[in-house]
Amino acid sequence: MSCANPLKHIPALAASHLKHEWILTFCLVIALAAVIAPLLVLLGLKYGTIQTLRERLVEDPIFREIRPSQTREFSPQWFDELQSWPGIGFVTPTILPLSSVISVVASGGRNSELFDLIPTAAGDPLLLENGGVVPTDGEVVLSAEAARRSAVAPGDEITVKVTRSRGGRPEHVEERLRVVSILSPRAGSLARVYAPLAFVLDVEGYKEGYAAPSRGWPGDTPQPYPSFDGALLLMPKPMLPIARSGLIINTGFGRIVDGSAKDAAELLGFPVPEELTVYNLLAPGAPVTITNLRAIEQKLRGQTGVLLPYVRGLDMAVDGSRTAPIGLSIDERQAELLGIHSTPWGRFGGTLPENGQLVHVLWPAATPTTATEIAVRAVGVAELDFPLRVAGSTSLSRPVVPVELLGVLRTATQRPIVFNPATDHFEMARGGYRGFRLYARSIDDVPALYHRLKSEGIEVIAEVEAIERIQVLDRGLSRLFWLIALLGLFGSTAVLVSSLYAAVERRRRDLGVLRLLGFARRHVFFFPIAQGIMIAALGLMLGFGGYAALAQVINHAFASELAPGEAFCTLPAQYLPIFCLATLVLATLASLVAAWRATGIDPAEVIREQ
Amino acid sequence: MASVVSETAFAPMVCLEGLVKTRSQSESVFELEVPGFTVQPGQMVAVIGESGCGKSTLLDIIALVMTPSAVARFEIANGAAGMVSDVAALWANDDEDALTALRRDAFGYVLQTGGLLPFLSVRQNICLPARIKGRRLSQARVEGLAKSLGLAGCLDRMPVSLSIGQRQRAAIARALAHQPRLLLADEPTAAVDKARARSIMDDMQRLAREESVAVVVVTHDVELIVDRADAAYTFETVQLSEQHSRSICRPAEGLCP
Ligand SMILES: Nc1ncnc2c1ncn2[C@@H]1O[C@H](COP(=O)(O)OP(=O)(O)OP(=O)(O)O)[C@@H](O)[C@H]1O
Ligand SMILES: [Mg+2]
Repeated sequence: MSCANPLKHIPALAASHLKHEWILTFCLVIALAAVIAPLLVLLGLKYGTIQTLRERLVEDPIFREIRPSQTREFSPQWFDELQSWPGIGFVTPTILPLSSVISVVASGGRNSELFDLIPTAAGDPLLLENGGVVPTDGEVVLSAEAARRSAVAPGDEITVKVTRSRGGRPEHVEERLRVVSILSPRAGSLARVYAPLAFVLDVEGYKEGYAAPSRGWPGDTPQPYPSFDGALLLMPKPMLPIARSGLIINTGFGRIVDGSAKDAAELLGFPVPEELTVYNLLAPGAPVTITNLRAIEQKLRGQTGVLLPYVRGLDMAVDGSRTAPIGLSIDERQAELLGIHSTPWGRFGGTLPENGQLVHVLWPAATPTTATEIAVRAVGVAELDFPLRVAGSTSLSRPVVPVELLGVLRTATQRPIVFNPATDHFEMARGGYRGFRLYARSIDDVPALYHRLKSEGIEVIAEVEAIERIQVLDRGLSRLFWLIALLGLFGSTAVLVSSLYAAVERRRRDLGVLRLLGFARRHVFFFPIAQGIMIAALGLMLGFGGYAALAQVINHAFASELAPGEAFCTLPAQYLPIFCLATLVLATLASLVAAWRATGIDPAEVIREQ
Repeated sequence: MASVVSETAFAPMVCLEGLVKTRSQSESVFELEVPGFTVQPGQMVAVIGESGCGKSTLLDIIALVMTPSAVARFEIANGAAGMVSDVAALWANDDEDALTALRRDAFGYVLQTGGLLPFLSVRQNICLPARIKGRRLSQARVEGLAKSLGLAGCLDRMPVSLSIGQRQRAAIARALAHQPRLLLADEPTAAVDKARARSIMDDMQRLAREESVAVVVVTHDVELIVDRADAAYTFETVQLSEQHSRSICRPAEGLCP
């Protein structure tokens, strides 16, 4: 028996048959191509338009930006947490818009221009994707408009002038900075200067009156102001009713209440002479500030009396035990009236005691101590640790500290305050930032981030709609494509199934002869399958030809709307093998019925058929 | 394969004994009985009988495309010397592949109307059996065969463009080209006139002899095979009932030497 393999002759025979009936074959191929070409065009249009729209969005970082729509405070901790959110590409805190205006003069230039100062940091996509580099300290990046107005080029130096008015006097500092790059106009039409966050924060601080020691900019250190719950006025004689009621007008105090020596002892922490008249000055709903107290002192000028501000209910641990120190700042004359010793830090005035005296303490003589420093932990917005320096002793039963210190500690219950041991000063802790610049990693991350920020109660603006519109369009077009593809699929499968089946029926006798010549059932099985695959392959070729031509026409027609390199109708290369494979598999499946039919042909039946 | 191949001292090309084939359609039943039918290698055997007596049925059974209802012995000589294939066993095992392979290797078949594949040229038709056997025909053999059958100018034409007689001769060329050991022809001359039939029959006989191929030829025309056939079989029809007929195939006396 020979080792013949008749199967390998089946494709050639099937091809000869198709060639012999070329008109029918051609019609079939055309029918298939008529389904394939429009499907490809549709797929190409879907892919091309979505891709073009997406790329336009993806290319421009503007579409990945999420901006806060209202100014509010964002704590540094919030930024730390934000960094860990998925989908965050870049985020930096920003400052108040008002604090961000600086005037810029190009070196050699005369005109000064007012520009917006915007913080940036490493990885800022707005800069990096618009032809810029991220500036380091001493460097800036200008927007196209800023560069145009100040007529500078990369590499030039500019002088930045920051102005403020302090105590009614205008002040300014200047800083020379180097322009490292200029952004493309796409980054925005506003005149802006991008600088590292640290510089921007220093500018903000300077405008608020503070110094920036590292840059040599003068100003206040951000010291916390004292605030009080009220003040006691102790007078040797009662006031006339008219003077009494007139006392608090225009001072910020709301009420004046008659009190007793007992009330005073309770509020102040030490007994006061019985013969003094006690008035309690109150400002319901608002803290009492130095300005309020000054206004009262103005009115009392020339009269004998002591104005003693007080703070109630401070929670603190002095040397580990929960004691409330007495807050007292009086001079000799006041001390005489009260019948006690004066305090070394002097009387209560308009400013905080200098030279570290704010944290001085007079220790009760009844419980002498050898320590020079006593640790204090006060409970405020955050825990506040600082040392008290023993500056003497007191005959009073509780430690005596400047009343200004209690005022500061009261403020610390409302605003975060830290103690700086280097300067021996309390400082307002950085409360937070007034905004942020945030870029999502990709446009697909924008909607999720947008909705998450909104759910946290942060009003934000983002191009969510544009992005979601594309996603909706993509989904819609995909559905449409699959619907039409399904329709085409049904049609072309039906055509293939019926044509191949008809071919088998038509060629029954020939297939019978093939059986007679020595082909087994399993060999003729592949005859229609080979034909199905060949027709599909030809249909694919013609279909791709039609697609290529039509895509060319479409892209040409829309050329004016498209940037170079963009195409409305295009298919990624990796789609093509998938498409071809799918078509061939489908053709094979479609030919199975005919193949099964072919195996049923009995040569004995057909050789006599005419 | 060992079970279906056995060795005999002198193996006939075809050996049939005790064959019964019953064909029925609705009520009518046709029964073909063949007590004994032998074709020796190189022999030309004629099967003669009137229409409907079962000639084609017998040929289909020999051609291995129709299964016998019952058969005592059915052997076909294998290519190797003295080896025979037990067709009865192959049918019993329903070994279609072996039957197909045997048909492919040993047989050539000429149909009543040729049976050329219309989508292949005459040359491709002639070469096809050899090709599916896994052999290449030399062009000289194809040309030689065509020439001896008067088809010299027709080789590269499609079958549709040939006359019926030419088609029939092309079918003979195709049946012989791959050097079968048995040529089966079912009324190869039914579609042509007498003179042409005679020349076709002559060609077939001559080629079969040259190539030492055994031939079984079916015809109802006794004249055509007198003097040509080495043996002849004919049919005896018995009408058992209105619906039931039986046909018995026996060697024809006096027709052949
Ligand atoms: N499928 C079938 N079912 C039942 N009977 C059949 C079937 N096919 C053929 N027959 C019968 O078998 C008998 C033999 O048929 P066969 O084709 O072998 O005759 P034949 O001798 O070749 O005749 P012809 O000379 O006309 O070709 C006929 O009587 C026919 O009616
Ligand atoms: Mg017949």
